[in-house]
Amino acid sequence: MEKKNDTRKENIQKLLLRLELWFAPVLIIVPIGASLFFLWDWYARGFSTGSSVYDGELLIGLLLLAGNLVFDVQFLRSVRMLKKKL
Amino acid sequence: MFFSEMTARDAFKLTKKKMTEYQTEFLERMNVIEVDAHWFRRVFHTFAASFLFYYLLPDEEWINLGKIVLPAIIVLCMVVVEYRRIRGDLDHQRFFGLRNYEKKRPASYLYFGVGVLLLFLLFPQQIAIPCILCASFTDPIIGESRYYLGKKRAYAIGFLISAFFFLVTWYRADWWVLILVSLLGATGAVMGEAKKLKLVDDDFMIQMLPAVLLLFMWQGLLALGINMLPPPLLYPL
Repeated sequence: MEKKNDTRKENIQKLLLRLELWFAPVLIIVPIGASLFFLWDWYARGFSTGSSVYDGELLIGLLLLAGNLVFDVQFLRSVRMLKKKL
Repeated sequence: MFFSEMTARDAFKLTKKKMTEYQTEFLERMNVIEVDAHWFRRVFHTFAASFLFYYLLPDEEWINLGKIVLPAIIVLCMVVVEYRRIRGDLDHQRFFGLRNYEKKRPASYLYFGVGVLLLFLLFPQQIAIPCILCASFTDPIIGESRYYLGKKRAYAIGFLISAFFFLVTWYRADWWVLILVSLLGATGAVMGEAKKLKLVDDDFMIQMLPAVLLLFMWQGLLALGINMLPPPLLYPL
């Protein structure tokens, strides 16, 4: 039982030190969240009021979303592939 | 043992045992996950484009103060961390995805942060936005294309992508300004990426070189009585 507890503690410590595992979800979720916010802002302030002043939000939202998705897919694929190898 | 025969204590023990087993298994599974440093660095670049959210922050007095202080504090923290890492107080191994040549000099994320900070504080958003987009997307695109297509083609693709970012963000400008800005900005971005300097990282140069070139152009034309800046692209909430 004690040995099991030690292994668990060891695993927790290892996990805490691996900053990349903590960063990875943030690197994926934050840009997608930001791009959706840009798109929502364009819809709320621009599209629904018929104003073209906020078209910049639409452009930036689309650029952010497309650019991040392209690289996120490759990143997630690489994570899975390395997991399989082990 | 049937549930009816189990005491509350037995049930609690069984649940605790199952939970511990599940937790151990979960931790072991998490620990065997390997993150590819190459793609991690690429995603770090594209993540930085979300800093453009800065321009949506409301235009109020205390928030405007925060817009200056908060990014400066974040970059200052990065400077402290890098200083301690280079001195050896922090273990280099704990910084995932660092390149070998970054062991004894500031890592590229610091240069990236300083570049973005300078763009936020010293440049109008019309210039800063395309430059941040270039650092976030053009840099990894050039990196990937260089691998498959060779240097020359990769820089040509980088030029086109950067020009596209300037075209999109300056679409409200006069046509001649749009063409000049796209050509100058894209040239600056590709030169910033291509020219490898010992002291300054390309993550800094790819955003600062086009920004400085456009700043000179803007100020030069302003001296001649022409304001080339289009209306802002993003408006605060």
